[in-house]
Amino acid sequence: MKRTAASYRNLILFVLPALAIYVAFSVYPLISSVVLSFFDSDGPVGSVFVGFENYVFLFTNEATSERFWNALGNNVVFFLIHLVVEVPVGLLMAALLTSGVLRRSTGVYRTLLFIPATLSVVIVGFIWRLIISPLWGIVSFPLLGNEVTALPTISLMSVWQYVGIPMIFLYTALLAIPGDILEAARIDGSTGWSTFWRIKFPLIAPQFGLIAILTYIWTFNGFDIVYALNGSAPGPNYSTDILGTLFYRTFFGSSGQVANLDLGATVASVIFFIILVTTAAYFWVLQRRLKTYEL
Amino acid sequence: MGLTLAGCATGGSDSGDTVKLTLGSWRTEDIAMWEDEILPAFHESHPNIEVEFAATDTNDYNAAIQSQVEGGNAPDLITCRPFDVNRAWIADGYFDDLTGLEALDSFTPTAQAAWQGADGATYCVPVASVLAGFYYNKAIFDELSLEVPETQADFIDVLQAIKDDGTYTPLALGSADGWQLAYNVLYNLGPNYWKGEEGRLGLIDGTQKLTDPGFVDAFAATEALVPFLPEGYEAITYDDMGQLFSLGQAAIIPDGSWNINQLTSTGLDVGVFGAPVPAAGDQRYQQEMPDMAIGLNASSKNKDAATEFLNWLVTPEFLELYVNKLPGFFAMTTDAPAYDNPLAQAFSDLKTDAELTPRLALDRLSAGTPPLDDEIWVALQQMYAGTLTPESATAELQAGLDSWYVPAG
Repeated sequence: MKRTAASYRNLILFVLPALAIYVAFSVYPLISSVVLSFFDSDGPVGSVFVGFENYVFLFTNEATSERFWNALGNNVVFFLIHLVVEVPVGLLMAALLTSGVLRRSTGVYRTLLFIPATLSVVIVGFIWRLIISPLWGIVSFPLLGNEVTALPTISLMSVWQYVGIPMIFLYTALLAIPGDILEAARIDGSTGWSTFWRIKFPLIAPQFGLIAILTYIWTFNGFDIVYALNGSAPGPNYSTDILGTLFYRTFFGSSGQVANLDLGATVASVIFFIILVTTAAYFWVLQRRLKTYEL
Repeated sequence: MGLTLAGCATGGSDSGDTVKLTLGSWRTEDIAMWEDEILPAFHESHPNIEVEFAATDTNDYNAAIQSQVEGGNAPDLITCRPFDVNRAWIADGYFDDLTGLEALDSFTPTAQAAWQGADGATYCVPVASVLAGFYYNKAIFDELSLEVPETQADFIDVLQAIKDDGTYTPLALGSADGWQLAYNVLYNLGPNYWKGEEGRLGLIDGTQKLTDPGFVDAFAATEALVPFLPEGYEAITYDDMGQLFSLGQAAIIPDGSWNINQLTSTGLDVGVFGAPVPAAGDQRYQQEMPDMAIGLNASSKNKDAATEFLNWLVTPEFLELYVNKLPGFFAMTTDAPAYDNPLAQAFSDLKTDAELTPRLALDRLSAGTPPLDDEIWVALQQMYAGTLTPESATAELQAGLDSWYVPAG
């Protein structure tokens, strides 16, 4: 189709409202936050441009850099636990839902498994905190009070809540596989096990890349479950501190910590950069190589 | 009535001379109290002044006041945060110096410390403080025939007796919330060891270190409570503690006065005792945390009326209305008002023979990185987890403080 001036005008007209809102509420704050990270507004003369000084401070000051690397390390663990537990469990659930063994109760299970993802994080945190409370709960071991177990415990609560999301991704992908292929496999004498691993799995494989990168973005932007359970200085001894809570504490301050807008913006920019680089690398390197089959 | 009005109004006698003041505050939960009780009482005795209570949500308050002052439309009377925030506001010229104001004669210098500028002058009239102490369940104390402990050794004996009996948890305390280990335990027990203001100001002016015996002993006294905590205390939160106590399952809880209503909500007969002293006959020190004060906006157009209001804040009329509407908040004046709530009265009585001191690390020592207050929370949690000793905890904290803090001359 040949594009006329009128059609371009219409395009712009239709895109403009959404673009304006996106720029005003997403692009502009992002840029101004990055700009803020290059200024120092704590001095007596107002805001002064300081170049990369805030970044240098963040990475070289003993106290702040220790917190930053600790939060980054915890965040990697937080992400890996999600990936390693959520995806296989989600796959198992999706496979069972589409296998036919559940017969007419498929809809009930699908709903039940997805419900936690629709709950408020505060409620999920509260319920789990009660379940594992040494006073009123089912275990006497202080899971959330031990430096070794606290982060895995919180991660698994979050996995419990959001396992429905990869399940739905994989479930819809499995549903999209045409019935005639599966029927042909059955006629050829393929067992359920080999049908799944040799036919269904390769067809839904591209979904795993997508789920992994979404989990990555989501966990590196994570904040709410940790904050709901352990507040803005998440203990014990910062063992559950992730980048989101580190940012919150730096930018908004906590009871004993005075808010530092510039350093907070610096932390935010570093988080943004970490997510941006990994996501871009993923799309350029991996996503294009994933084999998709035309059906 | 007309005669009274004319008598009160200075200058013009016509009723159109009513001065309107606004009072900015972060206590949105107190709007009804101010509008229905306190401000009408003020208007009664000062018919030519009308005060409007303008509350902003607690979390937005600091930012709101800052933008209002810069925009020139801030309230005539500004409620002051304690210590560092207020010191910044004073330095930026938000308030008038109140030196010479009659109302300030009702306060000790310690009570005014939270609202003084770098010049040592006071900029706000103190209104309310919160206290910390040890609540105890009187029924359990009677049942086991225990007495309120006076010294740390008595305290440990009492806890041991409750533990030996086995029916109740001796101490409702967990370490999941670091803040309350600091605010309700270390800053509660500790002043008896670091001698209140002597130790606190010593840290600020650099003449004392956290590694000095007074501070190490305070950490040790805090650690000495560990054997008496419920199982799994590392994951027990502040809310859990309160429930454990109010359900009658624990004998003692270290807590702040703000929790009076919560802890007695189940109808328990509850008493309170102050932090035990190291040895019999020692001077008692009591944590009194300044919470709010009211200052005079430097660019207010109604300073005379605002000054009248500030002076009214120390009258028994105001104080008795205020503290009895808000059990758990205490007047900071040297002459204490009478409290209707018996537990509040018991808390107030803790102040009478004690030297008062605010929380250790909130003044200046937390205005840098790493902030001492946050570091203390974490160090106490580690001490309760057994990974730090009182000696290593205080050494680590002092090293963190030394990395940025320049003692105030």
